[in-house]
Amino acid sequence: MKITDFKIPTRLDEALAALRDLGPAALPVAGATSLVFIPEDQPMTAVDLNRLGLDGIRRDGDAFRIGAATRVAALQKRHEPGWVLDRVALTLSSQQIRNESTLGGNICRVFPWSDFPAALLALGAGLVIRGAQEKEMTADEFFSSQPARLFRGGDLLTHIRVPAVGAGAGFGYKKVRQTATGFSLATAAACLQLDGGGIRSARAALSAAVPFPARCAAVEAALAGKKASEGLLREAALNGLSGLKFKEAEGMSAEYIGRLAAVTLGDALVEAWAQAKEQAS
Amino acid sequence: MSTTRTITFTLNGKKRDFQIAPGELLVKLLRRSGLTGTKEGCDEGTCGACTVNVDGRAVLSCIMPAFLAHGRNVVTIEGVGDFDRVHPIQQALVDAGAVQCGYCTPGLVMSAKAMFEENPAASDEDIRVHTDGNLCRCTGYEKIWTALRNVRDANKPAQA
Amino acid sequence: MAKKNFKVVNQPVKKLDALPLALGKPLFVADFKPADALYAKLLWSPHAHAIIKSIDISAAEKMPGVHCVLYHGNVPRIAHTTAGQGFPEPSPYDTFMFDRKVRYVGDRVAAVAAETPEIAEAAVKAIKVEYERLEPVLSIEAALKEGSPVIHDEPEARAVIPVPYEPKKNIAARVGMDVGNVEQAMAGAPYKLDNSYYIHMAQHCPIEPHVTMAHVNAEGRLVIRTSTQVPFHARRIAAQTMDIPVQQVRVIKPRIGGGFGAKQEVLLEDVVGMLAWRSRRPVLLMYTREEEFVSSRTRHPERIRVRLAADPEGTLTAVGLDCISNTGAYGAHALTVVCNSGSKVLPLYRAPNVHFTGTAVYTNLPVGGAYRGYGATQAAFAVESAVDELAEQIGVDPLVLRSNHHIRSGETSPVFAALGEGKAGVEQAIGSCGLDKCIRLGAKAIGWKKRGDWRKKKGRYRRGIGMCCLMQGSSIPEIDMGAASLKMNEDGSFNLLMGATDLGTGSDTVLAQIAAEAIGTTSDKILVYSSDTDMTPFDVGAYASSTTYLTGNAVLDAGLKIKKQILGVAAEMMEKKPADLEIRDAQVFARDGSGSVTFQDVALHSLYAANQFQIAAISSHISHKSPPPFAAHFAEVEVDTETGLIRVVKYVAATDCGTAIHPKLAEGQVEGAVMNGICYALTEQYLFNSAGRMLNDSFLHYKIYSMRDKPEMVTILVPTYEKTGPFGAKSVSEIGINGPCPAIANAIYNAVGVRLREAPFTPEKIWRGLQQHNA
Repeated sequence: MKITDFKIPTRLDEALAALRDLGPAALPVAGATSLVFIPEDQPMTAVDLNRLGLDGIRRDGDAFRIGAATRVAALQKRHEPGWVLDRVALTLSSQQIRNESTLGGNICRVFPWSDFPAALLALGAGLVIRGAQEKEMTADEFFSSQPARLFRGGDLLTHIRVPAVGAGAGFGYKKVRQTATGFSLATAAACLQLDGGGIRSARAALSAAVPFPARCAAVEAALAGKKASEGLLREAALNGLSGLKFKEAEGMSAEYIGRLAAVTLGDALVEAWAQAKEQAS
Repeated sequence: MSTTRTITFTLNGKKRDFQIAPGELLVKLLRRSGLTGTKEGCDEGTCGACTVNVDGRAVLSCIMPAFLAHGRNVVTIEGVGDFDRVHPIQQALVDAGAVQCGYCTPGLVMSAKAMFEENPAASDEDIRVHTDGNLCRCTGYEKIWTALRNVRDANKPAQA
Repeated sequence: MAKKNFKVVNQPVKKLDALPLALGKPLFVADFKPADALYAKLLWSPHAHAIIKSIDISAAEKMPGVHCVLYHGNVPRIAHTTAGQGFPEPSPYDTFMFDRKVRYVGDRVAAVAAETPEIAEAAVKAIKVEYERLEPVLSIEAALKEGSPVIHDEPEARAVIPVPYEPKKNIAARVGMDVGNVEQAMAGAPYKLDNSYYIHMAQHCPIEPHVTMAHVNAEGRLVIRTSTQVPFHARRIAAQTMDIPVQQVRVIKPRIGGGFGAKQEVLLEDVVGMLAWRSRRPVLLMYTREEEFVSSRTRHPERIRVRLAADPEGTLTAVGLDCISNTGAYGAHALTVVCNSGSKVLPLYRAPNVHFTGTAVYTNLPVGGAYRGYGATQAAFAVESAVDELAEQIGVDPLVLRSNHHIRSGETSPVFAALGEGKAGVEQAIGSCGLDKCIRLGAKAIGWKKRGDWRKKKGRYRRGIGMCCLMQGSSIPEIDMGAASLKMNEDGSFNLLMGATDLGTGSDTVLAQIAAEAIGTTSDKILVYSSDTDMTPFDVGAYASSTTYLTGNAVLDAGLKIKKQILGVAAEMMEKKPADLEIRDAQVFARDGSGSVTFQDVALHSLYAANQFQIAAISSHISHKSPPPFAAHFAEVEVDTETGLIRVVKYVAATDCGTAIHPKLAEGQVEGAVMNGICYALTEQYLFNSAGRMLNDSFLHYKIYSMRDKPEMVTILVPTYEKTGPFGAKSVSEIGINGPCPAIANAIYNAVGVRLREAPFTPEKIWRGLQQHNA
């Protein structure tokens, strides 16, 4: 990435104006940890997003409102009922990266190894975007294709709304990598809402093993309304991914990565089920 | 073409102005300013040799554009200790035999310093997690592990 | 062996450079960069095999800020080897500073020195090269195929010692030996196996990449500061390649950020030297991490056939080993690495029939080189896996099979005499051997008795325990030489000057301890200055597990000479005979209790009082033995049978390195080597595309462990006393890396019954093995 100028706005409207004016030459930057992955080509003007009040996490009813410039380390170090992103954050890269990397930066441009999209898809997060006005979109819309598309006009992701995982609900998250700080081979996230012994709703998502983060509709459908059991959850994961295309990774075949993803999703579902049972009202 | 810009930040306790190229990385700025204790091992944010503290957080100066340090408080290994005031983390690493080639050591000290300042009673797991970005090919981490647990244990009475 | 009453040796004294390093003082090559230094950049070949049809440097040369551009058309064409070995080198002369032909993706094409890194980079891009692509040779099998493209067809390629060298067949080296008849022994044996193993390419990953800085000093001489393990070889080879006299070159090694063998290679010194020589400006070149992976050196991959046979009682009757190594585009260490696959592995077990062949082949892949373990790592994987397989066939505990057959103190092996480095070896009987105790203590620490049969293990996550036994050497006998000089200062301190090269291991400290013990003082009174070709005596450098054992003996001898001189001066001062005096704690005492003088008194007397002279000594040492350190390693792993994912739970390394001169540093050598070996076994590998380009040239995709991945590690040092070593010491630096591949392979088998004969042991390979079971 070739940065030939930078701006350090201190108000959101100032930042938005700068992004709009610069157009494709604008490079919104907060943690700057992914710049090394963006091929060097055109001269860009960096716009520092760190002084716009976009960092911080606060509880807002039955959800958490997370500023887009909130560091991954802040997610990692928060522990309270209903908060589950600490588990996701802890598995992301190294501590120095977690200290600088932001949640917004992690999801505005999805890389093949991205972790947070799967978690946010499973949690049913909302994404708040500021352009001329403020709009909120669902994670499903946001991640329907490369989110970077949404920001070419100078709009900015300002907040992420993540539902608290409450009574009768559980979240499961598994990321398989060969070393602790390594890129994911398969990332699976799952949310289960129990209703007595039955599954009222299930959300499951994968990233890293697949070309782009995605919900696992067939798995979810196989679970909804069923009586929960470990066997059911694992079977749903093993059988529900057959339609997906998997990537080869680190010298391992797509066939194997598919197997790994299915087992990993099963593990995430079982973890979600365990938490849901624990939180049964 | 790029023009030079001026930024200001506190470096090892002293507020200073720096002339930078807009895209200059923090590690390059530090090293050309004579602070060569911050090492370069990969230039892609993967080895941790370039770790410095910015506002008390351990960050990778090899991927951080220097302008992001504007207005911040930057501490490098040179600001941590010297022969007449060796930092307890440095002393613990020396005593445990955790310094072999020593190329990763300054970065490791900076990660450990940020961790202990935030949490003097860091658990074993905290130590593992907070040093996971500092690669060392010499020691197998065993003596580093011992050293950092010794620092934690020495911190404990003060906590109790 | 009785415990010696050491005062300095065998104590964890302060490592001399530890504090300055921890403080971040300027100690490494790049830290010394003067403000007016130019930055060098290299242009790399994008093709695995091609002829440079034309090259145009004019645009680059004309760029403002560019001071020098080098390519094959404007530098001397001198065939040499980059392998930093003794002269004449056992590696073939098949390399040029720049050549008209490129032989792998990442081979060097041109070099630029410019005012800034950005200008240098732009200038490199401005060099126009037209290539005629040739068919690349990308595997051992392809290299050996009849009619395969010839990689080294240049007329200058030659071996400079009398060894087989057949570049027209892509063969860079051949070696072999036979004792008895393995074929015959196999034919009638009730227990036997004949298996093929493959062990992969890897990189050393020193955290400081290769870095060199050079300038022409005020006397017109070239001064090269470089991150090297071999300063004297670097001086010789850089001068040879630049075609200037050796006396025009001074090589200085400051602190270096790890080497592990990668820096036993003279990679940058010639180019950086030439850029400085031509531009008359200081020049700095530091490899990027990507360049370190692609254009540095690697571990030679090997395809290995193992044959073992045992008689009806389960006694080993034959060991056969055929190793084919892939040396990549150049033959650096080609002969000696594959030779060590035999010489550092075969002597471990007694067998009447022994067979070995080693062949090194050229391919259009990154270049092999010296890497900690040096061929022993490769063969230990194959042989120690095979020993487990044979034990299962016989129905005996693999620990017992090893215990019954390993070489012991007083025994010899025909392999020692047969296999040397580029010539016949040196016969030797084993002196100290603590392997029995290593096996015993290691087995206890890992809980060997609980391992059980894999067929009885249940559940998704299954644990297994595996082991292996290892040996290495201590220096190259009758080839390597180390020297040391000592002089006394007026306050009773000493300067110890050595060519020996501390690459982060702590050898400066270890050698200071040996000097202090010999003289009778403490190690903090020894001021070490090492690795400067103008200032220090010669040393071959840091390789072949030699520094403690070889240079240590030179230091010991110099220390004893100093001691004698001190006693002589003290005798004069005290009017006694030297024999009536003894040294304790930096003082000389009359044995009859009539008086004492301090070292300072002695020094002041010798320099100022009467019959003045400099108390000083210089000693050289060559060895007539290469006493092996021994080790027994044990790994416990846990395998997820659903996915094949594997985790090392615990690793025990019990090592006999004789007297550990500095126990903490010796443990550090073992722990660092073991950790490197664990990553090598499980996660490190080179991935190439079909054109021979490395796909994972970054720590993002080439995985080495961090603190968070570290298993529980137990390091046991088993003391023995090697009579030929300084204060009983043998080597310790390399042996530890050889264990994880076989110990983990054996542990995987013990966990889930999957026998992996191809490293690394990726989850997919384990999972596919499990699928075969289920099928």
